[in-house]
Amino acid sequence: MTRARRPSAQTTAVVLALAQAPAAWHYGYQLCQHLDLKAGSVYPILMRLADRGLLETAWERDAPDGRPPRHLYRLTGPGRALAATLAAEATTGTVRRRPRLAGA
Amino acid sequence: MSRARRPGWAGALVASAVAATPFACLWVLQMRSADDPLTVQARLDMAIWMAVFGTPWMIAAWLLWRAWWRRAGARLSELDGPARLLATAAATLPADRRDWGTAMTAELTQVQDRAARWRFAAGGARAAVFPPGGDLAVVGVAGALAVAATAAAALAAGAVVPAGRVFALTFVGLLGGLATLAVARSRRVGWAGPGPAVAGLALAGIAACVVATTWYLVEYPSYHRAHPPTIGVSLPPVTAVVLAVALAGCLCLALRPPRWLLPNRHAGRFGVAMATTLAVGFVLVSRMGLGGVGGWDGGLMGYLLAAPLVVVLPGSLAAAAVGRSSHTGLWACAWAVALGAPLLIAAWLAEAPRWYRQVGGLLLDGEGGIGVGGNLGDAIWWTLLLLALWAVPLGVLGAAGGSAGARRLRRGPGRR
Repeated sequence: MTRARRPSAQTTAVVLALAQAPAAWHYGYQLCQHLDLKAGSVYPILMRLADRGLLETAWERDAPDGRPPRHLYRLTGPGRALAATLAAEATTGTVRRRPRLAGA
Repeated sequence: MSRARRPGWAGALVASAVAATPFACLWVLQMRSADDPLTVQARLDMAIWMAVFGTPWMIAAWLLWRAWWRRAGARLSELDGPARLLATAAATLPADRRDWGTAMTAELTQVQDRAARWRFAAGGARAAVFPPGGDLAVVGVAGALAVAATAAAALAAGAVVPAGRVFALTFVGLLGGLATLAVARSRRVGWAGPGPAVAGLALAGIAACVVATTWYLVEYPSYHRAHPPTIGVSLPPVTAVVLAVALAGCLCLALRPPRWLLPNRHAGRFGVAMATTLAVGFVLVSRMGLGGVGGWDGGLMGYLLAAPLVVVLPGSLAAAAVGRSSHTGLWACAWAVALGAPLLIAAWLAEAPRWYRQVGGLLLDGEGGIGVGGNLGDAIWWTLLLLALWAVPLGVLGAAGGSAGARRLRRGPGRR
């Protein structure tokens, strides 16, 4: 279920970053580095996106010995639809604040 | 001795020393506060009493540290600072967010640079301690209701029982704050209770305690003291806050216990049995004292000292033996203390006026020259102190003994 309220600039940034390679799995630390956001901001966003069915999560299957499996993330169908809407709003300038996409 | 075990022993020694410190301080305070210079014999007697109460706590602290070290401490000691910070914060996550703690902990292993590790761990810890919870609107409504309930309780208490205003304000405020925190930290605030027996007994005990305290404050808001002649309030602010914190803690534990306390059925059953026995025994001994039976007419201090020995110690031992783990005994002791405290205070307040009318003194030790209102402070402080300082360490010892016995039985008679 998507929410009617407009996502925050940071949430928009996370969704658009995940939409850049929608079929690929992403890591939490990779998103933090990519968006130059702190873990304290990225993880609550990922939790909310997953709660709303916009984000699919999985555990890494072939983790090397001695290292715990990492958590993986990618957008679901509704998540991709939201990303498309946000991207369109960004290009037409309807987003009030431009999402921060450092390194994107 | 391995490198990982050495800090465990050092920690156990520190834990025992910390457990002994309050008793040593108490001894020093009593020596200094004595009106007349104390004889060597009096000092020695007091030291022996402190040792009697302090030794179980020192041993219990040692055992608790050792159990924690085996379970989590050794693993934590192998982690660096950032990993330790994140693991500690992740342990506070609600059950429905547990995976995210594991996710952040696993992700930290990918961060190599030390400063970056601290940054990631600090951010992750913030996300773990304040995870996104319920809808902001719901949290706002819960917070507003909590504030309104606290204000209403303070106003109502001010109008009806002025002496109970601090207690009402603190108790309702704490409950409102805890409820708001639960809504804010979890997506689904549902029933995650320990079962109807535990929750029912907790609610009954807390309700009885609140009703008894309120009635006591209406009847005896203050009391006189003959030597020196003074008038004291029955429920001073510090005592009111202590009672409110204890009752709110009991309620919180009974309605939303930590997840590690939930699955243990044996612990809940033994806890309920021990708490009920403590309270029923209190009333029976009080009646026996009033009837001049069995030498209990000097007050119930003797019962309060003996009851943990004959109820909590064997009860925790039996729980650990039945559950075949020291944890079952420990959780049973925790339930006994949490459920027993409000029941004992309520029973104390119910029995004290009867005792005062017949004996003319306080229920604790039959001391005269103090108004009946003096029982309220006695009931709160002595119950909480004796449960915390006497019943808990005995429960820990019982749990350790019960699990050791169960292990020995499993191994068979021929093996050690």
